[in-house]
This record gives sequence, C-alpha cells and structure tokens, in this order.
Amino acid sequence: MGWKIGIPRALFYYTYFPLWTTFFQALGVEVVVSPPTNKAILDQGTKSVVDETCLPVKVFFGHAATFTNKNVDFLFVPRLISVEKKAYICPKFMGLPDMLSASKIKHPPLIKPVVNKVKSEQDTHFLWDCASPFTGKWLKIKKAWHDAEQEQRNYEQKLIRKYLDITDDRKLNILLLGHDYNLYDHYVNMGLWQKLQDLDCTVFTPAQFSKEERDSQLRKFPKSIFWTYGRNLLGAVYSFMQRPGKKGVIVLSSFGCGIDSFIDNLIIRRLVEQKIPYLNVILDEHTGEGGLVTRLEAFIDIIRWRRDYHQNYVSSYGQYVGCCKGNVGVHGTKCDCTTSSYKR
Amino acid sequence: MGLNVIVPPRPTKDSLSLGVQHSPEFACIPLKICIGNLIEANQLGADTFLMVGGCGPCRFGLYGQLMKEIFQDLGINYHTLIIEPPDTGYWQFVTRVKKVIGPVSWWKIIQGIQLGYKKAVIVDKLEKYVQEIRPREFNKGTADKIFNNALQMIDQTQNLDELEEVFCLTKEKLWHIPQDESKDVLKIGLVGEIYTLLEPFASLEIEKKLGKMGAYVHRSLYLSDWVKEHLLTTRFFKLKGNDYRSYASPFLNHFVGGHGIESIGASVAFAQEGYNGIVQVAPLTCMPEIVAHNIFPQVSDKYGIPVLNIYVDEQTGETGLETRLEAFIELLEAKRKKVDRKITIC
Ligand code: SF4
Ligand code: SF4
Repeated sequence: MGWKIGIPRALFYYTYFPLWTTFFQALGVEVVVSPPTNKAILDQGTKSVVDETCLPVKVFFGHAATFTNKNVDFLFVPRLISVEKKAYICPKFMGLPDMLSASKIKHPPLIKPVVNKVKSEQDTHFLWDCASPFTGKWLKIKKAWHDAEQEQRNYEQKLIRKYLDITDDRKLNILLLGHDYNLYDHYVNMGLWQKLQDLDCTVFTPAQFSKEERDSQLRKFPKSIFWTYGRNLLGAVYSFMQRPGKKGVIVLSSFGCGIDSFIDNLIIRRLVEQKIPYLNVILDEHTGEGGLVTRLEAFIDIIRWRRDYHQNYVSSYGQYVGCCKGNVGVHGTKCDCTTSSYKR
Repeated sequence: MGLNVIVPPRPTKDSLSLGVQHSPEFACIPLKICIGNLIEANQLGADTFLMVGGCGPCRFGLYGQLMKEIFQDLGINYHTLIIEPPDTGYWQFVTRVKKVIGPVSWWKIIQGIQLGYKKAVIVDKLEKYVQEIRPREFNKGTADKIFNNALQMIDQTQNLDELEEVFCLTKEKLWHIPQDESKDVLKIGLVGEIYTLLEPFASLEIEKKLGKMGAYVHRSLYLSDWVKEHLLTTRFFKLKGNDYRSYASPFLNHFVGGHGIESIGASVAFAQEGYNGIVQVAPLTCMPEIVAHNIFPQVSDKYGIPVLNIYVDEQTGETGLETRLEAFIELLEAKRKKVDRKITIC
C-alpha cells in the first residue's frame, strides 16, 4: 500500500537508526529521514520552543518541522523513557511527543510508543503501538523486531574498535565525550571530528568501548548512575584512563543540559585526579567556529608539548588545560581556561 | 531524639553566593543553596550531613554524591550519610535510618515522626490562612509578622498539646487582622518545582509579593502533602496528597521527573476551578519544568488562562521580578474587566 513514516534526524535517531529503520522497512513501510541539520533547521527549532530548552531538543524541533506538508503518513516520535534496567534517558525525552503536540509546528499524526525498560528489559509492549497502523500480525512484528535488533547489534559491534590496533605512537589519542546526537551531528559540533583528524589525532568516542567494559568500569563509581548517556560517558572515561598512550579528553556538552551539568563535573574531577588534560566545549546555537579552532589548536599543542619535552612535568599545564587552580575551579565560572562557550 | 542536630541557618544571599562559588555552573539552584547552606552549618560545628539519594530520572538523586565530592575537594570534614530510597524494601530502609540515628527506642522514633508531621500540617494550615489574608489586610505585612512568630514557636514545641495551643492562638490572632472583606481579589495558582515553591528565599518570596499586590495565591504543593505522599507511604498503605497528576492528560501523558506533571495537572485543575492566572516558578535549567513550560501554551490556549513563567537563578534580580509580576497582575485585571463587561452586555 506504500505507507511512509518520517523520522527526524535528531536525538534518538543517532543512536538507534539501524534499529528503527530496519524495523519499519521489514514491515514494508518506507522510511523518510529529514536532511542533515543546517542553519534553517536550527533556526526553525530555536523559534519553536522556549529559550531555556537545551540545544539538541531545539534541533529536534527543527527537524520535526521539516515534515510539515511533506508526503508522509506518520511521524515517529517515541517516548524513550528507558532503554536499560534502572537507567533513564532524560526527562526531556520523556516529554518529547507532548512537547511536540503542544508546539506550533504542524506535523503528520504521531506514532509515539512508550519505551520503558526500567523494570524489565524484556518488555515489548510498545511494539504494538509502533506497528498497529501497518499490520495486525504479531508474528510479523516479532520477526521484524528480531531482525532490527540484530541489525542494531551489528552496528554497535562495528563501532567498537580495538584500541591497540589503532594506537599509533605519533598520534595523540583524544577521547571525544558527548551524547550521540552531538557527536554525530557534524553541523552541531562544527566538524570537530574532522578538525581533530586534521590535527593528527586519533579520535575515540564512548561507543568504541564495549558496553560490558563500560559497565564493569562503572563499578568504581560509588553510586549507580541512572542516566544512560551519563553511564556511557563516565564508563568510557574510566576505560580510557586504563589505556596506554598519550591522551587528552574533550568534553562536549550542550548548553542547558541538566545531565551534563552534573556528569561533566564528576568526569572532570576524575580527569584532574589522573592529570589528564581536558577541554570542555559547550555547544549552543551561537557557537562560532573561529574560536573553537584556536582553542583546539592550543589544547592539542599543550598536550604535544608536554609529551615531547616534559613527560612528568604536569604542574605547568595545570594552569592552562585541566585547571587545578584551587579546588573550586574544576568546572566553574572563575576558571575560564577550562570552560568556555564560544560566542560569535 | 538524643542527637545533636544543627539546623542550618535559613538560607541567605551569602549562602547562595557561597554555593554558587563551589557548584557546577549549570547546576540547578537548589543544589547551590544546599551546598552554601551546608558549608555554613559546618562552620557552626556540624560534622555529618544527611542527604536522601534517589534513582532518577532527575538530578536530585545525584545531589548527595556530588556534594560529597565537592566537600572533599574543599577539604571540609563532613561525614556523609546518603539514604537511598527503599527500592530494596521498606524494612531495610527503616533499619538503615535507625542505624544512622543510633540506639533510640522505636516508640520514640514514632513519636518523633508524628510530631514532625503534625508540625508540617499545622504550618501549612496557618499558611493557607495567611494566603487568604494577605491580599485583603489593610496593614500590609501584619499577617506575615504573626506567621513568622508562630513558626518560631512551633519550632520549639515539644509535644502535641503545646503545638495545638500555638495553633489556636495564632489562628485567633490572624482572624483579628482588619481586612477589606468586600475586595474582589484575583486568584492565582502557583505551580512549579518543589524547592522553589517551598523555600521562599529561592523564589525571592514570590508568594508574598503577589499577595501584597492583591492576589490570593494557592500553591500546587504543600509540605505536609509531600511528606504524606513520599515519606509516610509504604507498600501496605498508600496515603495520597492532592492528586493533580490525573488532570495532566492529554497535555502531558507521562511522568517526566521532578514535578513537571504536577505543574501541568495543577494548572488544569486551577483553570477549571476558575482561577485568573497561573505562575510557574522553577530553577533555571530544571529539566522537568522546561518540559512543562513547553506545554503550557497549549493549556493556556485551551482554558484561556494566562501563564507567567519565572526561572530563578543566582542572577535573578528583585526589581526585574517585581516588574514582571506587576505587569502580569495588570494583565489579569484587564482581562477580568473585559470578561465582566461581556456578561453585563448580555
Ligand atoms: S540529555 Fe541533556 S541535551 Fe539531551 S535532551 Fe536531555 S537535557 Fe537535552
Ligand atoms: S526538579 Fe529541577 S531543580 Fe529539582 S533536581 Fe530536578 S532539575 Fe534540579
């Protein structure tokens, strides 16, 4: 019959696109994804929600708006509450469909399953909500879901890289920390990846460490973290610290993100403790590229310089990157050497 | 209960700036105030602090851990007791609490809890009277003076009888305040995040300000309701506070952490009861309230009720806030007049 479903290229899309695209295609539904983020999308998003909202949600609304007057039958906006036991995603993900319906954006009818695995990871009730407009056969749905999960696993497996295979002594190892939708949306992060590669760095992301490894490393933290993205980041930091080579960490957070405000602070404390240089980049809709490049180059220079000449001499960089001035400057206003949001 | 409890001084501007200095820049304001406040308590000699933990989805669950690390970095000597919520069972939770407070008989504990709860109930009752009187009293501020006095007395009461006495006395006093009975006051529903609602300092005394401007204010949350719902509810018997959640659908159909859903639900309930306006207060960057904020326009459209959203952080200024509140009140007055005229024409 040719159903079409639209998926905004934002938020959950970046983490779960293999899963959902495979699933809907297996049901015989055509999947339409919005174009990569551009200025018009971002501006539209910024207009559609209140100012205080975090950047990724603004971007999401921009993408949702591209489906106005588009020829799709449904728009897929799941309410992702939790994707693993005892961990949530974020309050904003929980209210996403409601926020969209309340906004001024005209959109096709929503498909909004509630995905909640806090209590049990086996729960598949939501599949019914996803698929009922297209088919009534439970077996077919089950099969599609099975294939989709397989696809997702393959994808995640492919992301995990063997650290030792790619460690090159002449290159710097940079761990890029951030939520998937900031890491993989190259408009939002201003092509940070490419820039780092141009500067001769090997880039790591949380997804390159296996989930098992991250989770087991997380036991070092005295309390269990109840945000999936938080767990990913902190687990990755612990894993990264174990690895050999010359290292630096770039913490990418979004302006207005409540989760980052806490998790980044905890992460940075650990980096300072281990004397690993870090740079905190806060993305907002005014972020300008010029400032970022200068910052990045300075940061990389510092690590290089330290590596080549002063193996153990750490106190001098302390003033510049990864500030340990006083105990309060870990991530605070007074310490603009570590935290800066680049305004145009 | 045989423990030496140091009640931290009421938060002031100083505690806030102390907290701001030592907290993450984008943390929400309750954390900043708590940190500042605890540092002050430490200077007064407290050596242990007690914090409740949590398991999400909101940031509150991580408060304890973060505070612990911040104090460590500051070199402040604090024992931290983080009580995790009873997801392993109520009994274990109680025993843990008991371990914390030491060898005290169960009877005493029950008595202590009962007294604490009664105090909260009575404070709330009195506060509701004060909210009624504020817009009508001739001599602005009288009710608040009496109320503050009563708070101090309640604090010192040792048993239920004394408490009852203070309550009756204060009630009597409040009733004798000269009021303008004929005045037709605006009714405003105050909703938002719990800390900013309950701690007047955090919201720059928004409630009092509105009262002085001549509006009757009713909050979506009172302390005793919260205690009833969260601390005294067990698996065996559920006590429910005001159930605003059921009103939130179809605007917000799922719990979003914090008090986001209560904010929406209460606003709908207030609108249906014929309130004139809604004021939402929340800490800047508060996630659940931002979700609610994004949904408010729809509620506002459907019920034709104006909503004012106020975010507070360390930079919020008194004067700016006052102007916004005044403008809002004017808007409500104008709107009410318009509606009234229509009625007379018909
Ligand atoms: S996790 Fe942070 S950035 Fe992502 S939606 Fe939630 S608040 Fe926004
Ligand atoms: S409800 Fe808001 S203010 Fe309270 S902890 Fe959560 S984000 Fe912070």
